Amino acid sequence: MSPQLVSQLSVGGSTLVLLAGLMMLWRRGVNAHIGAFTAQSVALAATTAMVGWFTGDWQLWAVAVLLLLVKAVGIPILLKRMARRFGTERELEPYVNTATSLLLGGLLVLLAYVVTGPLVSVSQLPTRTGMPLAMGLVFVSLLVIISRKKALTQVLGFLMLENGIALLAVLGTHGIPIIVEIGVFLDVALGFMVMQVFVYQIHETFESIDVEQLNRLRE
Amino acid sequence: MSAPFLTLLLPPLLAAAGALVLPPRWRGSWALHAALALVSLLAALRLASLVLDGWTPTWGPTDLFRVDALSALLAACVAFVAALAALLGPRLGGEQHYTPPQVRRFRVFAALFAFTMLVAVTANNVGVMWIAIEATTIASAVIVPLTVSKASVEASWKYILIGSVGIALAFVGTVLAYFDFVTLVGQRDYALNWTVLLANAPVLHQPVIELAFVFLLIGYGTKAGIAPMHTWLPDAHSEAPAALSAMMSGVLLAVALYAIVRWRAVVAAAVGPAFPSRLLVGLGLLSLGIAALSLVIQRQYKRLLAYSSIEHTGLMCVGLALGPLGVFATMLHLINHTLAKSMMFFLSGRILDRYGTPEIGRVSGLLRVMPLTAGLFATGMITLLGLPPFGMFLSKFTLLRAGFAGGQGWLMAAVLGFLAVAFVSLLGHLHRMLYGAAPAGVRQGESDCWAVLPLAVCVVALVVLGLIVPAPVTALLDRIVEIAGR
Repeated sequence: MSPQLVSQLSVGGSTLVLLAGLMMLWRRGVNAHIGAFTAQSVALAATTAMVGWFTGDWQLWAVAVLLLLVKAVGIPILLKRMARRFGTERELEPYVNTATSLLLGGLLVLLAYVVTGPLVSVSQLPTRTGMPLAMGLVFVSLLVIISRKKALTQVLGFLMLENGIALLAVLGTHGIPIIVEIGVFLDVALGFMVMQVFVYQIHETFESIDVEQLNRLRE
Repeated sequence: MSAPFLTLLLPPLLAAAGALVLPPRWRGSWALHAALALVSLLAALRLASLVLDGWTPTWGPTDLFRVDALSALLAACVAFVAALAALLGPRLGGEQHYTPPQVRRFRVFAALFAFTMLVAVTANNVGVMWIAIEATTIASAVIVPLTVSKASVEASWKYILIGSVGIALAFVGTVLAYFDFVTLVGQRDYALNWTVLLANAPVLHQPVIELAFVFLLIGYGTKAGIAPMHTWLPDAHSEAPAALSAMMSGVLLAVALYAIVRWRAVVAAAVGPAFPSRLLVGLGLLSLGIAALSLVIQRQYKRLLAYSSIEHTGLMCVGLALGPLGVFATMLHLINHTLAKSMMFFLSGRILDRYGTPEIGRVSGLLRVMPLTAGLFATGMITLLGLPPFGMFLSKFTLLRAGFAGGQGWLMAAVLGFLAVAFVSLLGHLHRMLYGAAPAGVRQGESDCWAVLPLAVCVVALVVLGLIVPAPVTALLDRIVEIAGR
């Protein structure tokens, strides 16, 4: 593969990953959100595999397979089970309405370009061109977590944040050391399991997963 | 050099496994749990003595684990509070009875929580350190709602969400630093080792490493309870079982601060100390201010202690920016805070058991109701206020001296102002709780006196640290200043 092609594929893959993140801002249904997350994980795995092909590093292939198994198959199955339980609860009017959310999302991606400017200028890797988009996803995920009211949507925002960081790592460094990579996977999986238990617990205690009710603890 | 590492890290894992299979009510399972925690504590002290003899023990492929003076100090603090929690928790000799499954759940996850913190402070690889600190959130969040109520469910949700998101941002910072290293040197398995990063720091790119530090400070600062990322802390600390609150406030905040100290050293070597100092002073002052004002309006004593933790974290942030003497004072302060605050949270559990209310306004006559507990509680509070003859007087005094000597007069004046506000409000709250008539229906007289005995160790240590800092401690702190005091 020529570096130009790798560079273009990096931008293409990162764009898909980011677009899936932006979908969280305009779709309301839980199932649409889960679909967006699954598609995003597949795009992330494909980008990782592409970088692995380019560098000839088997570890990245292993990471891509792990990504597919955990984030594109395993976690979506658990998410859908939660959606069946809470599916009738649609996302309420978020703190920020759809139009404003999208506008903010666009501004955040611009901000990501500004922030990652120094990174792109010091790196020589052909994959560096996708880094601003990965940082954009990190910012957009934070917006999702802050502005949505359903616990399940916040969990999805957190998972997308992790995807954004994984993309940033693979594009900028062609993979972090495998021992750290495996540890991070373990943390994400365990963290998700605990969050899942908590969402069920919130539903049992408050009879809804609307986090606006979580306002008892005040001064 | 694997023996000291194994005796430090294996016991908590064995304790978790033991608690999982043994019957929780059986005294033997409690004894085993406590004994294993003590083995871990002894191993931490052994590591500290090795460090004092001039060793730097390392272990694992590419020196995955490494203990220098800074690691040894934190490991000893973590193992100490974990041992107290194993001895006392979750019942604390109080009247509140947890069901056997709750006791089992607490023991399993408290041991795992201790394990993750010990890994975090002994890992040389900053990626492994991150993994361990993220795992602390998971292990501790599970037992925040040990008794399920609306308040505890809310607190645990805020904790795991804000904690996980914060720590994810710290990972962005770690990736950015690694990115810069890879750009300059190429991919290496050991590139995430703190020693390697520090050695290569002078050639790192300034804008990249500065951006990385901003992410790292926000990320680890969230776990350390630095304002404005502190919002989860008062909720989680007040709703968690007392022994868990003691571990979180006493050492988890210190472990997160430890990560900041490690990264600050790398960044200071790369771009000079001015940049990290500006950020630390800004956020430290904000934390001090928010905490001091929140202390005034608090109505619950566990939240009061939680905000006091934010106050002390803020103070330590400022101290880190005050040069070698400031770092010395900060680390001394960290030891004092660990001793005092863990004791206070254990005692708050006893008070909650007896009075059945978290409200300060409904706790009165503590001196008559539980003389021993009240005495220790007052001692702890006086320590937190920074009065002699307790250790915190010395560490606060040294910290302020470092600031004035460094020409930071105005900064120190602001710090003193916030400390004064905290002083007055804490003293007022303490007075309200100690004196007056006991509310009707509250049984008088101390019960299970043996249960508070281990806490006397904290008082003795605080007094010793307040009169004269023992030579081994000074030697350890001097070495830490050499490592991180630039």
